[in-house]
Amino acid sequence: MATPPVVPASPGVVGVFDTLDALLLALRELKAKGFTGLTVHSPVPHHDIEDILDEPVSPVRLFTLIGALSGTAFGFYYAIGTSLDWELIVGGKPIVSLPAYVVIGFETTILIGALATVAGMFLNARLPKLRKAAGYDPRFSADKFGIVVMGGPAQVAAAADILRAAGAAEVNDV
Amino acid sequence: MKRRKFLQVAGVTTAGLAAGCGTGEGEKWLPYLVPDENLVPGVPTYYASTCRECPAGCGILVKTREGRPIKIEGNPHHPVNRGRLCARGQAALQGLYDPDRVSQPMRRQGERWIPISWDEALQQVSQALAAAATSGQDRVAFIGGADSGPTDALADEFVRSFRSSRRIRYEAFAHEPLREASRLVFGTASIPRYDFGAARYIMSFGADFLETFLSPTEFAGGFARSHGWHEGRMARFVAVEPRRGMTGFSADEWVAPEAGTEALLALGIANAVFRQGRARVTGGDADALRGFLARFDIATVSRQCGVASDTIERLAREFTDAEPSLAVSGGVALQHRQATQLNVAVHLLNAVAGNVGRTVTFPGTVWDRLGTFADLKGLVSAMDAGGVDVVIVHGTNPAFTAGAAGFASAFSKVQLKVALSSAMDETTALCDIVLPDHHPLEAWGLYTPVSGVTSVQQPASTPVHDTRQAADVMLQLARLANRTIGGGAEDAQQLVRRALGADANQELQRGVTTTVAAARPVRLSREFARLSFGPATFDGAETGLVLLTVPSVALYDGRGANKGWLQELPDPATKISWQTWVEVHPQTAAAASLHNGDVVTVTAGERSVEALVYVYPGVRPGVAAMPIGRGHTRYGRYATGGSNPLSLLGDVTDGSGALAFAQLRVTLTPTGRRVPLATTEGSPRQHGRGIARLAALASMGQAHEVHEPFTAAERRAIARADTAHREARYTLGDYRGEHPKWEMAIDLSRCTGCSACVTACYAENNLPVVGESQVQRHREMAWIRLERYFEGETEGTDFQVAQVPMLCQQCENAPCEPVCPVYAAYHTPDGLNGQIYNRCVGTRYCANNCPYKVRYFNWFDYGSPASPQFAFPGTLAWQLNPDVTVRTKGVMEKCTFCVQRIRYAQNEAKVSNRALTDADVQPACAQTCPADAITFGDARNPDSEVSRRKRDERGYHVFELLNTKPGVTYLTRVVHAEMAEAASGEGH
Amino acid sequence: MAVAVEPKVMTPRATPPTWAEVNRDIIKTLDPPGRGWFLGMAVILTGLALGALAWARQLKLGIGITGYTPPIFWGTYITTFVFWVGIAHSGTLISAVLFLFRSGWRSAVYRAAEAMTVFAVMTAGLFPILHLGRAWFAYWVAPYPNIRGLWSNFRSPLVWDIFAISTYLTVSATFLFMGLIPDIAALRDQATGWRKKIYSLLSFGWRNSNHEWRHFMRMYLFLAALSTPLVLSVHSVVSWDFAMGIVPGWHATIFAPYFVAGAIFSGCAMVITILVPLRKAFHLERYITVRHFENLAKLCLLTSSIVGYAYFTEYFIAWYSGNPFERSSFYNRVFGEYWWATWTMISCNVFIPLLLWSKKIRTSIPWLFVISLFINVGMWFERFVIIVTSLSHEFEPWQWAYYTPNIWELLIVTGSFCWFAMWFMLFIKFFPSVAIAEVKEALPPPGRTHAGGGH
Repeated sequence: MATPPVVPASPGVVGVFDTLDALLLALRELKAKGFTGLTVHSPVPHHDIEDILDEPVSPVRLFTLIGALSGTAFGFYYAIGTSLDWELIVGGKPIVSLPAYVVIGFETTILIGALATVAGMFLNARLPKLRKAAGYDPRFSADKFGIVVMGGPAQVAAAADILRAAGAAEVNDV
Repeated sequence: MKRRKFLQVAGVTTAGLAAGCGTGEGEKWLPYLVPDENLVPGVPTYYASTCRECPAGCGILVKTREGRPIKIEGNPHHPVNRGRLCARGQAALQGLYDPDRVSQPMRRQGERWIPISWDEALQQVSQALAAAATSGQDRVAFIGGADSGPTDALADEFVRSFRSSRRIRYEAFAHEPLREASRLVFGTASIPRYDFGAARYIMSFGADFLETFLSPTEFAGGFARSHGWHEGRMARFVAVEPRRGMTGFSADEWVAPEAGTEALLALGIANAVFRQGRARVTGGDADALRGFLARFDIATVSRQCGVASDTIERLAREFTDAEPSLAVSGGVALQHRQATQLNVAVHLLNAVAGNVGRTVTFPGTVWDRLGTFADLKGLVSAMDAGGVDVVIVHGTNPAFTAGAAGFASAFSKVQLKVALSSAMDETTALCDIVLPDHHPLEAWGLYTPVSGVTSVQQPASTPVHDTRQAADVMLQLARLANRTIGGGAEDAQQLVRRALGADANQELQRGVTTTVAAARPVRLSREFARLSFGPATFDGAETGLVLLTVPSVALYDGRGANKGWLQELPDPATKISWQTWVEVHPQTAAAASLHNGDVVTVTAGERSVEALVYVYPGVRPGVAAMPIGRGHTRYGRYATGGSNPLSLLGDVTDGSGALAFAQLRVTLTPTGRRVPLATTEGSPRQHGRGIARLAALASMGQAHEVHEPFTAAERRAIARADTAHREARYTLGDYRGEHPKWEMAIDLSRCTGCSACVTACYAENNLPVVGESQVQRHREMAWIRLERYFEGETEGTDFQVAQVPMLCQQCENAPCEPVCPVYAAYHTPDGLNGQIYNRCVGTRYCANNCPYKVRYFNWFDYGSPASPQFAFPGTLAWQLNPDVTVRTKGVMEKCTFCVQRIRYAQNEAKVSNRALTDADVQPACAQTCPADAITFGDARNPDSEVSRRKRDERGYHVFELLNTKPGVTYLTRVVHAEMAEAASGEGH
Repeated sequence: MAVAVEPKVMTPRATPPTWAEVNRDIIKTLDPPGRGWFLGMAVILTGLALGALAWARQLKLGIGITGYTPPIFWGTYITTFVFWVGIAHSGTLISAVLFLFRSGWRSAVYRAAEAMTVFAVMTAGLFPILHLGRAWFAYWVAPYPNIRGLWSNFRSPLVWDIFAISTYLTVSATFLFMGLIPDIAALRDQATGWRKKIYSLLSFGWRNSNHEWRHFMRMYLFLAALSTPLVLSVHSVVSWDFAMGIVPGWHATIFAPYFVAGAIFSGCAMVITILVPLRKAFHLERYITVRHFENLAKLCLLTSSIVGYAYFTEYFIAWYSGNPFERSSFYNRVFGEYWWATWTMISCNVFIPLLLWSKKIRTSIPWLFVISLFINVGMWFERFVIIVTSLSHEFEPWQWAYYTPNIWELLIVTGSFCWFAMWFMLFIKFFPSVAIAEVKEALPPPGRTHAGGGH
């Protein structure tokens, strides 16, 4: 069937796929051809996609670790510090009653750890995104998949071909 | 007495007198623009005076702050009460500040009272008096209470000056039978004086000598001295009565004869004494007595009384073995048709045991001059016949207590009825004019309870309202009627000062003068033999229960009824407050399927009252007991609850003309309603948890096995840890340095359960009175409470009653402290559980975690006038102790060991730059305890009294196994009994 | 088997809905509410208003208007507090724990359960304040710098509570919202008008791109990993409010696990109670299937037996310890004045759940619904029994007493249920009560026949 002429001005191209397998096919092809700056939109995460893209492990876990540890430190510091700030004896117990403070330490560990994790996600995923994303299509949140390829005219044209070849339902300029 | 306090009393009273008896004049001086040198803000001033709540005449010190009395304490110099005071005495303060007091002269118009001026009122009365006097002899009558000294003489003179001899000193509890018995047996119509302190063996035939009988505070002291366990010795106390009340709780043995046969039992015992050849009478008396007593052969007596004859023999033996012993009788509860006979019998018992002149003496007392119920009846019939034109009633309420004499109806026939009264009680309400009287704390007087003891009564405050002292009113009335009485004295103060003579000021400072009065020697008279002795009879169907009307330790004859402190004070026997109950024996209750709180109608003939059932093992089957004092129709907001058993009585009298308080058999008919009892009682048994411990005298000294929860190794480890903790503690900020460790020791062998400590705490610490509805929910606020547990089989009479004052134990390892999220509960450096009211947010976790359950929560805003539950209405707010916070709604509170007193003493010591001694600090409860059961002091000082008592072999801590390390040590109560193992369970 | 019970139901195994259908069906639940919803809301708000009035009166006059009878200083309020904290547990359990265990059936039910968790904690949080004598000073419990120079007492289990509950609220709310983001994006992509604006805002510009998913999945995993110990800790801390006290009947080491099991037990029951009507109202039979209910029922059965065992242990140890206070306390529990409460508790939590052994009952929605109600009642009574009967019968026999809640407490408790219901009713109309993205994950992606989903 007739395909519209590629307009060189376009910075990128998006391929819309009905099926996961078509998407994977195109993805493999693009990777093979050494395309970079690919963006894959998929209603749900899928390990096949991850396998092909094969990106490094998310650094979010670092945020979690650091958050949790500083949480622990804060919890104990808080409890011990305030107890020493004004020494009051209750029930004949020592001023610094560590066993009791474990609870505080634990809860702050979880709290700050969790918040740090979320922060890590937002930072790494560059959220919130205020501007419209190039090539995003509302159907990507329903049941369609999409690949956005950015690059110079030549690359874009090549990408478009690959996408079509892989069986994209639509291939549109960004 | 504390040196400091004494100086204050001395200094200030003198100066005060110079300034015309001026304490500060209430509000007027508060700005202190012109400060009075005797009125230092923050420094209390003490006035010595005399308690007039009952005829006993205890000496008191009235603590005033900024010109207002805020607390009443015993006068340590006084021979009667030796610095101690009962609940009623301390509550006199609430009479002074009674929100329902009559505040100005008033004239009655139908049911309404119209205020009038003093002049107008006095005019009317004096004219009426003059008219009555001119119209004939004896047309004026004056009804007063027990009194003595110049004011008493004045009253006589006053009546006489209006050509009348109708003057009655009317007391509901006048103990006429006892006086009459003295006349019949010893030829002197006098109330004896008992020396409980000397007695080695005490037998009481229904005399509640620790509650209301004659001079309870004095007796409690003596009783504790003799009956309290001391170095292996203690007197034995046998209670012989059909109902075992608070006094009976201290008894080692309870003998419960058929109601009305106590006289026979006493005679039987006396007879046994002779037959055992132990009588200590000689000569003609001996023969006469032997002959007379032979009529009461033991077998018959045993049958009549329902007491085994070997018991009678044994009592006779024990009673005479101990030297000296003491038998007392004359209690109101057993004032029945044979009351005189009972007292005669007991006198004889004392005589044969040789106690007369030793534990029983006849110095002459204020009771000797009281009128009898018969005298009152005489006046009543005179009034009924219209023979009296003017009646003046002063300080007594016959309309409530003498309903049996038909007082009210006769009284209303009198033309002019004048009340010299400070309360709108039933009698005052019947009067035409009320000339409001000073409260005793505002008045002058000299009172002689026992000859040789002259007790001063002087104002501790300027009058709260526009009132005048009765004596002054009499002087003014006489003057207006152109008569001169009181030797032309200006006023009562002048009368008193004249009587005191030159060194009046010293006497006003000490508050009492004691001269050794030679007790009148007595000889046996034979008159008693003419009496007929037999079981007392009771009106009503044989199937009915014999009704005993019991004087209330809190309300006395009802005069205490409008005092919140006394209404809310749990009755020491039943632990019920605010309500009127009827005690029935478990068997009786089971038979009639009655349960606690059932509302029953108590019916005697046409008359009937309602009461709540309380199933009580302390009464004989076939006997029902009701407390006197509640069920007022007037008298004030606190007084009108409950019902009045006296309204059941007919005007039956005994041989001495005394009202037979026990004269009826009654029937109880359930109304079908049930009301929660306003009681503090949870479980009446302590389930062997060793809270209030008893030990048999026999077992003392021997090592009795102690349940030890820890092994020796564990104990050592614990000890090491403790010392480590303490050391660690003493290195901390405030805790560094040598602080005293405040502790308390309570000797249960002395404690009688009288509950004076409870009222002392209310007074000292501004405890709110929460009312019946709240007590029904166990929300009473008493920081110290008396727990009363029955020990042993309560079906019969062979059980013991274990009582223990429970207050904050000020634990070293206090469970209440660590659970408070906001540090409102914490440990002070001197070993107290601090409770910071204004930090408390009210989680109530501390109260949950307190094993002794001595923390109390402010469920409502008792301290705020805006709140519907405001606990200090009207002038009652003046009673508040300025040194103690009035707590707000939603905070926890508890005993503080009267920390305000501790701090005050510490400051005093610092100011006068000397070391603090034990004598400087005393919590209110310890200070007032009539039995001296409570000791307080610094436990870190090994020589302090509290330290010594802590080391006593009887010492124990409640719930020791919880390792709370309480600061209160209890000393096991020792009893002359073989049981007590049940109760001495060591901590479980 | 399931089909036998509900023939109409189509399990995924029958014909799995396509991804498109999932979007359609679930987003449909957000359609403007009908009369039923408004009627329900009216009732709920009335109840809430009554509760609020009761509280106002309590604040004005003092907490004395309740039935508190010393020494029972804690009663209905704390009981209901623990009840709601318990309810709050299954949510996080299902969403976090089952997530870690990779059990697929969670995806359809976890959203509702998690919402329930958050709202239950919000309800529970009211009671510690409600029951204070001076609620207006509740903030003093929090350790904040102040001119008094006084902090709060970290030895007090109540302060632990503050930390545990607030942490739990924060984390579970975060967890819920994070899970929502992809779904909100889906809503955004088909919504119009003001809703589109709001959803765009809430979706943070989520694009389902691999750059986002990559970090999102990590974040989700770690949140789950952190929430799991949190769930266990929260109810342990709550149980220590009692176990740290020396009250006989409270002072027991078994309390932490005992309470956690009880919490999950009551939580699962409540999930069933909520899902049954939700499923009916929104016609979600295709997504929330009998299989889900059966699994919840199995969880109930398990936890019920743990709770039953805990009861047994309590009584056994009370006897075996030989401690007279413990013995007396537990004897009084079963045969004393409060026998009725104790036996209600035992029958509802131990005996009635035994029915779940039968597959027939386990797979019958009506049966499950009724049983779940009984369990809810039973678990409320468990807390009542632990708190009230223990306090009513402590060391000091003179201070034994009997307490029953009065009308004011009951009004406030009812109010709390309405408060919870209100939030839930609002939630289901603004957010998908079934997780769109995760349901899809569990389904075969377009062009495939089996779900190779996951990560």
